[in-house]
Amino acid sequence: MTKVLMKGNEALGEAAIRAGCVHFFGYPITPQTEVPEYLVKRLPEVGGVFVQAESEIASINMIYGAAGTGVKCLTSSSSPGISLMAEGLSYIAACELPCVLINIMRAGPGLGGILPAQSDYHQATRGHGHGDYQLIVLAPASVQEAVDLMMLAFDLSERYRNPVMVCADGMIGQMMEPVEFPTEGAGEPMAENEWALTGCEGRERRIVNSLYLSPEDLNEHNKKLKAKYDLIAEKETRHEVYGEHEGADILVVAFGTMARIVKSAIDDLQSEGVKVALFRPITLKPWPYKAGRATMDALAPDAPVLTVEMSMGQMIDDVRLCADGSRRHEFLGEAGGVVPSPEEVAAKIKSLL
Amino acid sequence: MGYIRIERAVCKGCGRCIVACPKDLIEFSDELNERGYQVVTYKGSPEECGGCTLCAVACPDLGIETWNNRGKQTFETTTGLTEKMTHYCPGCTHGVVHRVVGEVLSELGLVGRTIGVAPVGCSVLAYEYFNFDMFEAAHGRAPAVATGAKRARPNTIVFTYQGDGDLASIGGNEILHAANRGEKITVIFINNAIYGMTGGQMAPTTMPGQKTSTSPFGRDTEDTGMPIKVCELLAALQTPAYIARGSAHDSKHTVRLKKMIKTAFQHQAEGRCFSFVEVLSTCPTNWGVSPNEASDWVADAMMDYFPLGIIKEPAKEPKPAGAKA
Repeated sequence: MTKVLMKGNEALGEAAIRAGCVHFFGYPITPQTEVPEYLVKRLPEVGGVFVQAESEIASINMIYGAAGTGVKCLTSSSSPGISLMAEGLSYIAACELPCVLINIMRAGPGLGGILPAQSDYHQATRGHGHGDYQLIVLAPASVQEAVDLMMLAFDLSERYRNPVMVCADGMIGQMMEPVEFPTEGAGEPMAENEWALTGCEGRERRIVNSLYLSPEDLNEHNKKLKAKYDLIAEKETRHEVYGEHEGADILVVAFGTMARIVKSAIDDLQSEGVKVALFRPITLKPWPYKAGRATMDALAPDAPVLTVEMSMGQMIDDVRLCADGSRRHEFLGEAGGVVPSPEEVAAKIKSLL
Repeated sequence: MGYIRIERAVCKGCGRCIVACPKDLIEFSDELNERGYQVVTYKGSPEECGGCTLCAVACPDLGIETWNNRGKQTFETTTGLTEKMTHYCPGCTHGVVHRVVGEVLSELGLVGRTIGVAPVGCSVLAYEYFNFDMFEAAHGRAPAVATGAKRARPNTIVFTYQGDGDLASIGGNEILHAANRGEKITVIFINNAIYGMTGGQMAPTTMPGQKTSTSPFGRDTEDTGMPIKVCELLAALQTPAYIARGSAHDSKHTVRLKKMIKTAFQHQAEGRCFSFVEVLSTCPTNWGVSPNEASDWVADAMMDYFPLGIIKEPAKEPKPAGAKA
């Protein structure tokens, strides 16, 4: 495999094709617009479908329609656009349809700004539409990892019949890095199945529906979904520990671009003899509580846990859940597109020792 | 001699067949069926019925089959629908339009290739009644869902079935852009000038002065604008399309409506253009009138403002050289 230099957004688009997805429905919004701009040129080469929708509301409902017919499909957007997709995602998750969406997070709230942020963490991980449903949320920290997680996203979405969000920030989307694709050419289409609507010739008709008028049936449906989410939580959490955490004097928790910056800070501090490690969740949903807790338990007694985010503090809720009262918590965060520098992170770490 | 068979169990006692019969051969019986409806009965002598089918065409509940003088069945239940009884109120013409769609798809041999999209509104349960693959979409989003399905599976026949609140209000953007992209889908648009399922609120198509629960003194057009003529709105787009408006309020108009719906699906099956059929429909319950008064209201109050006919057609394709005129 040869390495190619690609912008994150374009690499995400190419990764979808390599994963076998040739159906894209989306709407322009900064800073993700290079995803559709790349795919509109690339998809015809592989016999794919590209539709520029009239809104993100329409995009996600086109995804509902395409996913319901059993094809691998992708939409991509950025924070305000993802807000508009809340309704559709609730329906897709309720109907247990596989699809992948990319969120190249920008700063909010409201129209906010177009610079990178991580302030859609709660939205992504708490099921931002109505009802008891969950997405699988994957958070890359490099362009290469964005590619790798796209492949995983299509795999997980099909296996669990659930929407998967690849949740990156504007930094990942906009920067160029060398990447290697694990496969050549367009990947395999979705396997034949027993639920897709394709026309009922020669078989019983099928229905894709989320309406349950009987409370008992709807309760049962919710329990079935919950059992699936529990299984995903048991089997599919992913994380990285960076630096020596056994006996460390402080643990930093960060994801995505912020985790990368923390790594630089840790490299500098380790050369000064500071015992510091990073815990980086790769799956934001399900959050790797078990691994996180094991990492925390191996720290020096009384070592604090510092959560660093490009937001006013959202993932820290999960870090607290993970620690379950066993650790002191500290926080460093900036918003609006302001990204804490390695020096600022290092200074914060030192101030806590 | 011709004859009709009335399925007592499904009769909702709406009486539309009584008005439809040109020979006045049907009347209300004194009996109630298991669900408490006063069922209709044939009152004529056997030789009087010619099996003309108008009673069956008027019935919203698949309650009548007919035979002609030679003993040939002239009206039978379509295989395009399931046998499930609908939840619609007596005299509601949703049942009529469901049947016409089922008949057309069956007659065109398209049932096995069809994917329908049900809306939110009274016809939210349409997936229970149409006998083929079905989606249930979010409120107003059916044209976007249909776009995704049709683009992903271009060999299927994809249609949406939507009411006026769903299509003309919350789903205004989705229908406008699906039509403008020229999606090769068919849209069946039920215009009954009111929100039915939520209990009779003002719709974008509510007539001026019409009383609803959110326009209790009559629709004030100074405050709420004029009813939206969706066909004319979509026909103004430059993208080629088949756009027609029919009515299901009586049998004669329902026969014409069926031709429109058939043409619409043919345009899709031949990959020609976006196709859209608006249907003036009744809502006796929320209009607060009897089923037959509701039919009269469509003719008297709606049809002038919402003129029937083919509003727009795709340009005729030039005949290949040497083809017969």
